[in-house]
Amino acid sequence: MVQSAKPVQPIWCPGCGDFGVLAAVKRAAAELKIPTHDFVLVGGIGCSGSIHNFLEVNGIHALHGRLLAQAVGVKLANPSLTVVAAGGDGDGYAIGMGHFIHAFKKNVSILYIVMNNETYGLTKGQPSPTSQLGFEGNVEPPFHSILTALSIPAPNFIARTFSGDPKGMTAILTEAIRFNKEGRGFAFVEDLSPCVTYNDTYKIWREKVIDVATLPGYDPTDRKVMFRLCLEATESGRIPIGVMHRPEVVGRDGLEVKLVGDGPGPVRSDIELESNLPAYHKLLSGLA
Amino acid sequence: MSTAAAQIAPIPEQSGPGVPRPPLELSDVSVMIGGQGGDGTLTVSDLLGRYFRKRGLYVYLSRNVLSRIRGGHADASVRASRDPLHAVKSHVDVLVAFDNEAVELGKAELSPHGFILYDSTTFHIAEPHSAGFPFATMVGGPLGQPIFKNTAAYGALSVLFGFDPAQTRGVIEERFKRRGGDALEKNLKALEIGRKAALSMPGVENRYSVVSGDAHNMILTTGNQAVALGFVVGGGRFFAGYPITPATEVMEYLQRYLPPFGGVVRQAEDELAAINMVIGASYAGARAMTSTSGPGLSLMTEGLSHAGTAELPIVVADCQRVGPSTGQPTRHEQSDLSHLANLGHGEYPRFILAPSDPVDCFELTVEALNLAERWRVPVILLLDQALSQNTTTSPRFDLSKVHLDRGKRLTPEATTKLQQYKIYELTSDGVSPYAPPGTPGVWAEVTGNEHDEWGHVSVNPANRLKMMRKRMEKMVLARSELPPCRVFGPPDAKVAIIGFGSTSGPILEAQRILEHRGVPTRYLQVRTVFPVPVHEIDPFLKEVDSAYIVEHNYTGQLARLLRETMPWHHAKLHSVLKYDGHTFRAPQIVSEVKGAK
Repeated sequence: MVQSAKPVQPIWCPGCGDFGVLAAVKRAAAELKIPTHDFVLVGGIGCSGSIHNFLEVNGIHALHGRLLAQAVGVKLANPSLTVVAAGGDGDGYAIGMGHFIHAFKKNVSILYIVMNNETYGLTKGQPSPTSQLGFEGNVEPPFHSILTALSIPAPNFIARTFSGDPKGMTAILTEAIRFNKEGRGFAFVEDLSPCVTYNDTYKIWREKVIDVATLPGYDPTDRKVMFRLCLEATESGRIPIGVMHRPEVVGRDGLEVKLVGDGPGPVRSDIELESNLPAYHKLLSGLA
Repeated sequence: MSTAAAQIAPIPEQSGPGVPRPPLELSDVSVMIGGQGGDGTLTVSDLLGRYFRKRGLYVYLSRNVLSRIRGGHADASVRASRDPLHAVKSHVDVLVAFDNEAVELGKAELSPHGFILYDSTTFHIAEPHSAGFPFATMVGGPLGQPIFKNTAAYGALSVLFGFDPAQTRGVIEERFKRRGGDALEKNLKALEIGRKAALSMPGVENRYSVVSGDAHNMILTTGNQAVALGFVVGGGRFFAGYPITPATEVMEYLQRYLPPFGGVVRQAEDELAAINMVIGASYAGARAMTSTSGPGLSLMTEGLSHAGTAELPIVVADCQRVGPSTGQPTRHEQSDLSHLANLGHGEYPRFILAPSDPVDCFELTVEALNLAERWRVPVILLLDQALSQNTTTSPRFDLSKVHLDRGKRLTPEATTKLQQYKIYELTSDGVSPYAPPGTPGVWAEVTGNEHDEWGHVSVNPANRLKMMRKRMEKMVLARSELPPCRVFGPPDAKVAIIGFGSTSGPILEAQRILEHRGVPTRYLQVRTVFPVPVHEIDPFLKEVDSAYIVEHNYTGQLARLLRETMPWHHAKLHSVLKYDGHTFRAPQIVSEVKGAK
């Protein structure tokens, strides 16, 4: 066995919600029997983004807000890899918002986990895009990722988990990665991951979360129904968790699932000069 | 052989239309076609270019358009010559005008023997050497649409230049046969209408004659197309970009060329995404590139710093335009050099290569991919608007010169034989062997944070010193592998000209004029502009008395780099600058050189 980078000890505070995500990712990868050398974890900037250092997998630590673009690049270049991007709410919903919206549209088969703690923890507790009104220093209403995700017409997998419910989270992450492996498109999971130091919300979130599957009329193949259920739950002060969108292979939206990875992909394509010479000659002889 | 100098020598006054005289023979001809956007000026220049190429001439097509889809003044220029050329001619021999604005704008550039051919449907001019034809009305009746006026103008031009009628017609057939419908038939009719009108006007027929040349088996191409082709044969398989003038064609060509080779081309939501997708693809092990221009480059700067410290090989083609900000998006400038040389937050190594013509673009793109992977650094290909977009006759691209250097890229077999795999291993040349994700038995741990050899984040001062030196010393260690300068002109000349990019065209032409005037010069074309090849430029400057540094910017950015790296040559260096959005014409360079009158 060749010795290469070994996982290091997490830098997170004891009790941080991110530990739950780390454990759930590990269990999901094991359950799906993904070889560790085929698993790429793309980390963002912030506490959560260091997750790739704590697992025996390939890791790329991206720029702040750019992890989705890098993850998409990895997957398009080598579709046989399992690619999971993981970062925080500031990374995804503030500086990375443009890439976040476009990831749904691009629909490349990667999983994006946002560990939402409603604050910038690493820089010591500034308000983030998801901070509630009343959070110190915050003057703007919070952003709702799930409602935004549901509003984009694309056949993506959309879910929300809670670090206080590790079993539920493992099931959902496993389903999301399987969705990717089947080449069905982009999967987005927001995990409610409390920051025990700057925004300890375990207690309040435990009271507020509600499994969407228990709501009357739950149908995760129907975007319209799910938008209404999530909006109503949010407006009544609850935080919906569970699977919000599980599209059929050809969604009700009429959008066909665009499969990525029909060919070997750029990395596995032959770039040797000799074997390509006839084709190159043909390409160049087409010039006049 | 004619020389450029011969063509700018004084020419006797011509008599006006109606007075018979022998045709004026041109071995270097320039035609400017102006009108409103949508008038078909580009069609006329394309037809003329095709004709001249059939006659074995070198052609250079440039365009002057506004940043809008339709309307506004637009003009196109065709230059054809028996000698190779990569520049706009100093004067216009024939001006074709579809409106009065084109006459007003073009008149100033007309040579003393020049002639104006114009569409007199809506206006008349009182110039002595001109002929007006109501092309739009003439074709509008029989063909139903005035748009064929451009082909009629081409017909009149063919009479003015004494073109061979069969070849003139051949050009129309070649251009329109694939259009389908009655496009060919109507254009042939328009051609005849234009020809007949010109033949009936005294003083037009055979006013000029254009020589033939022997530039056959050549291609017509642009720098952007050459970059795209170089990327494919250089093993490039992943491209992400965002539309921006004048770089967009690189992406558009690759959308056509790359998929059959298993490559992927994606248009991103912005330049931040484009460069980060390229970084991701590079991490995965693909040869990857993006192309952009000034404002996009600013957004990519963050990503370039990241690739620099993460040691991920990427190539960025910067097709420069007039800046800062949106500047003049369709115009020419070379003002990104200082930015690129200091690009990004923090310090990291980068190589900047500046090709001068399409063949150079093709070859340096392959070289950029090789250098990026060999040294695991970002490489920038520095183009400029004229090089990117002007169309020129070029030798065919030579595949026998292409080779691939994958540097220390590890195969899965080689990886399994390792005792340990350190992704940032300290080595004698600063380059660590690389096995991309998906290689059994190892993990690729890559980060933009400072890291130790394993790829783990590190704030250890001793490690920081080692890692900084590992990266930065590549700029010294790679020196002998970077594309060398080219020198043109007699070795004993005491006057030097230095330039990079597309200025090569007008500089080479200026050299011929200067030689003719008794001022021999040596021209140094800098192909690696950063790190500055002091080992090449210092001995070169020692041998000359003075050096003129020709570039398209206000502050003399190349000159500043030379002064900074070789201050002892300060007194010898003189800047020749142009920043009006247009390219140099040879006489403008000549006039700056002392002793040349």
